[in-house]
Amino acid sequence: MSSFAARACAALALAAGLITVSVHGQLNHAAARTMVQEIGLPAIDRGVRNQDAPRDARSGANAAPARLGSTEHRPYLRGSVIVKFKDQATRAGIDAAASQLSGDLVTRAPHANFDILDIPADLDPEAAAAAMRARANVEYAQPRYVNHAMARPNDPLYGNQWNFPAIDMERAWDIQPGASSDIVVAVLDTGMAFRSITMRYLARVPFQLEAGGPVYPALGPVVMPFAAAPELGASGSPRFVAPRDFIWNDELPLDLDGHGTHVAGTIGQLTNNNSGTAGMAYNVRLMPVKVIRGIWDAVFGSPFEGTDDVVALGIRYAADHGANVINLSLGRETGGPAPVVADAIRYAVSRGCFVVAASGNTRAGGNAPNRLAQAAPEIDGFVAVGAVGRTLNPAFYSTTGPFVELAAPGGDQLEGGLAGGILQQTLDFDLIETYLRPLSQFAPPRADVFAHEYLQGTSMAAPHVSGFAALLMQQGLTNPAVIEAAMKAFATDRGAPGRDNAFGFGLINPRATLRGMGLAR
Amino acid sequence: MIAPLMRCLTVVMLCASPCTSQVSAQTQPPHPAHTSRPIQVGGYATAGHINLASAQSFDAILGTSSGLIFGGGLRAGLPFGGLFLDAGAWRYAKRGERAFVLNGTVYSLNIPVEVTMTPLELSAGWRFRFRRLPRFVPYVAAGVTVMKYVERSDFSTPAEDVDEQFVGRLFVGGAEIRLMRWLGAGTEVVWSSVRNALGDAGVSRAFDETGLGGTSFRFKITAGR
Repeated sequence: MSSFAARACAALALAAGLITVSVHGQLNHAAARTMVQEIGLPAIDRGVRNQDAPRDARSGANAAPARLGSTEHRPYLRGSVIVKFKDQATRAGIDAAASQLSGDLVTRAPHANFDILDIPADLDPEAAAAAMRARANVEYAQPRYVNHAMARPNDPLYGNQWNFPAIDMERAWDIQPGASSDIVVAVLDTGMAFRSITMRYLARVPFQLEAGGPVYPALGPVVMPFAAAPELGASGSPRFVAPRDFIWNDELPLDLDGHGTHVAGTIGQLTNNNSGTAGMAYNVRLMPVKVIRGIWDAVFGSPFEGTDDVVALGIRYAADHGANVINLSLGRETGGPAPVVADAIRYAVSRGCFVVAASGNTRAGGNAPNRLAQAAPEIDGFVAVGAVGRTLNPAFYSTTGPFVELAAPGGDQLEGGLAGGILQQTLDFDLIETYLRPLSQFAPPRADVFAHEYLQGTSMAAPHVSGFAALLMQQGLTNPAVIEAAMKAFATDRGAPGRDNAFGFGLINPRATLRGMGLAR
Repeated sequence: MIAPLMRCLTVVMLCASPCTSQVSAQTQPPHPAHTSRPIQVGGYATAGHINLASAQSFDAILGTSSGLIFGGGLRAGLPFGGLFLDAGAWRYAKRGERAFVLNGTVYSLNIPVEVTMTPLELSAGWRFRFRRLPRFVPYVAAGVTVMKYVERSDFSTPAEDVDEQFVGRLFVGGAEIRLMRWLGAGTEVVWSSVRNALGDAGVSRAFDETGLGGTSFRFKITAGR
């Protein structure tokens, strides 16, 4: 199987090479990116990458170097109770017990060592069971309590997603199972693996990732296959709405990095599909908006990069095209304030969008704040999110400061190893980050091969809050300021009592927030 | 809970006793039959409308701060003037939705919740009798109410639901018309106060409301003398 796969890959690579060479002579050097075919090969899923070394904390900034349940509130069936009579109970005693409740014993089911006693429907089963328990010949009696699934997703890799049980998502999904397609979450990031397509790029110049590092040769024309991430949705499906690329200035926000696809997975990975992992708000529609330039975008000479204005454009675009939630797993730690972005966020909030930003990943290296997130305390409906690891303590990298308002799982692989990260499906980094290989193995990337990768970063924390916001919107809270207030009011206070600079108002508590308030409790 | 209840009842009885002699002196000359009359026991059914205290909280969750109540009870006329004891209960139940409150504005979360109040009211009072209007019997009473408050929501664990009892006080004023020897009809106003029952959490905390009582207007059908 593996030798066949290797041969197939080699054949594909050879074919790609031939295409590359043949196209080279005809290239119009003005066009750095063109579509070759509006189709691509089916995506390849290479499973969980659980043997890799932990990766650095991820953020957009370092992506590129540059029921109603039943209205009947009773938790049991009426009309019968479960009774276990003692072994020495006589037939007459059993009959007397049944007649005490005007009941009839149902024929015992195979494998049962207890009986079901039918009782009048107007009898309270709890009282009836208590009456039975008071009898000398009864070992136990109880109402027939109704059990229900705990909304634990059936995705086989869900067991690796500690982050969802950590915030009680299983019970939160009982209340609000994944929102619906009425809610649109815009992912402003490095793009998203949302479409199967074949693109041709031109890598004109050699490049170097860091001073003193190897110089990678210009690849020339590169034909690059893309596929929709199988766990996000099918290419061309209505799952993806209003895609927009502000880096290449077109409608193809393809992910050449993997960051955006991973973030989108935490928000809306297809769930309960017996495949892969789960996502927070797994029924929402996703709006891929590319505002961050990945390394390959830079190598291929994209006309724009992720400047404040591009980010602001992306925010305004998302707000104007129906986004309900905007996720900003991006930012910068250098430079001054970003009023253009703050203004765009105010605009988005005024249009009813809830905006979420990562606090930054600089705690271990100076703790410089994410400039784009610093406006969060001034804008109701915009929150800055710090990250916690598996122990629910602040992650080693998670930037702290007065602007941090909430905390969510972002992973901490210092304390939890590789599996201490957040697992979602994204591009297979082996095949996208070919510039991390030895120079002799440097090759064009491919974006049609996927794996489940553990990543850590406040970039991974923010989409938890975005998905949470989508669930709240579906539940009926639509005002961004109210959503923020509710999230804060029900957050689980950790660290220093009250608000603090690491957790903000606390760790998000989706279940408690979705449940809201009763009259007395 | 029983001890304060008994204390309250004792106080009510003590208060009622002096009133009895005064009022008797004014309205009814001493009558030997009063002391020799046996205890008269009757029952009643009641239906009415209550305006609940903590109105903002009830309105936030149930969409209203009032509603219909139905109940019944027993009344014993003691052989001391117009003195009587009353034990009654009623029930108020309504469904609503859990909510979030911000700056006084209520945002519904579409999660069903059912609130049930079932108070047991114990009171002592005085029935006034007028010779010129023998069928018209006004009365006043005071006593205690033992309020059973139940709040159940979907998606809640038993620990998250509320099932508690609180003790409060009540005052009653009403009048009855004897339709027949064994049958009467009447109306009464009952004011009850159950303090510190709410306000620790939920919307009642957001609105800083703590009381579970209210003012109810009830119609009664009584059987017995």
